[in-house]
Amino acid sequence: MTSNEANEGEVPSFSEIDKTIHEPARLMIMANLFVVESADFLFLQRQTGLTWGNLSSHLSKLENAGYVAIEKEFLDKKPHTTLHLTDKGRTAFQEYRESMKQVFEDLPE
Amino acid sequence: MAETINLKRIERKAYTSYHQDGLLDVFAGVFILSVGLWLILDMVWMSWILWFVAVSAYAAAKRVFTIPRIGFVKFAPHRVKALVAIAVMVFSLFALLGVVAFMQVLGGGTPIWLLSAIENRMLVIGVSVAASFYVVGYTFRIRRLYAYALLTLIIFVTGHFLYFPLYYYVILLGTLILLFGLTMLIRFVRRYPVSATDTMGGGGSDEQ
Repeated sequence: MTSNEANEGEVPSFSEIDKTIHEPARLMIMANLFVVESADFLFLQRQTGLTWGNLSSHLSKLENAGYVAIEKEFLDKKPHTTLHLTDKGRTAFQEYRESMKQVFEDLPE
Repeated sequence: MAETINLKRIERKAYTSYHQDGLLDVFAGVFILSVGLWLILDMVWMSWILWFVAVSAYAAAKRVFTIPRIGFVKFAPHRVKALVAIAVMVFSLFALLGVVAFMQVLGGGTPIWLLSAIENRMLVIGVSVAASFYVVGYTFRIRRLYAYALLTLIIFVTGHFLYFPLYYYVILLGTLILLFGLTMLIRFVRRYPVSATDTMGGGGSDEQ
């Protein structure tokens, strides 16, 4: 078997796609945080259109994966949450973009 | 899926959302209006004092109107850095032109290009202000500033042929931008009530 034949036999490696990021709501969160330095919970909620509980839950998963850093504080006696992507999160998002691009490029017309 | 990760669009949406309050327009309008009013009194340098007051007041207004309604976002600094670099370049160019003009005047006689610029000051001012609106609009992805750039050009090019005093056009431009900004601000306040619930999110344990 030639190397070309071997390549033609390969299927796009869907298993390499980061499933933590791939979920649509989390993808939206990651993309929104990727284009800014940091944002608070309310801004992210407005941008993504997710409900409080939904956003909170997805953020927990991203935090557990080490992709998002969550800082909680009190400003003028009001609770306030600031979010930003960690270096690991930025790298993972970039890799996710590359792998998705690769998957679509590999698919036949 | 590739279409859903259009980062440029997401970034533009973030910028547009954060500046949909009209505060930028209100402050730009007030500043331009004040320049026009100080022109009448022949004290246009006073508007630069107002500029520094306006910058601090803008930040305070953001804290009062915008952040409690749509939240806070800190944008990546590269766009601000690019704008500062452009501002420094333009300022340096004007400073250089000023020095060249001064040297030529000292050498005897006003240079032709300076006389021409003074004669066509409406066009020079119009193009400079329009370019400023365009650059800021492009840098911060605020498309309505392109409309202000066009409005500025229309007003000042018209003014070039009408021969009314300069402050007429400056006041007209400032008033129009101020009115548009106030309309936007009222709409923004009505559309986004202050968030009643706290913004403490994240750290939940429910599974999705």
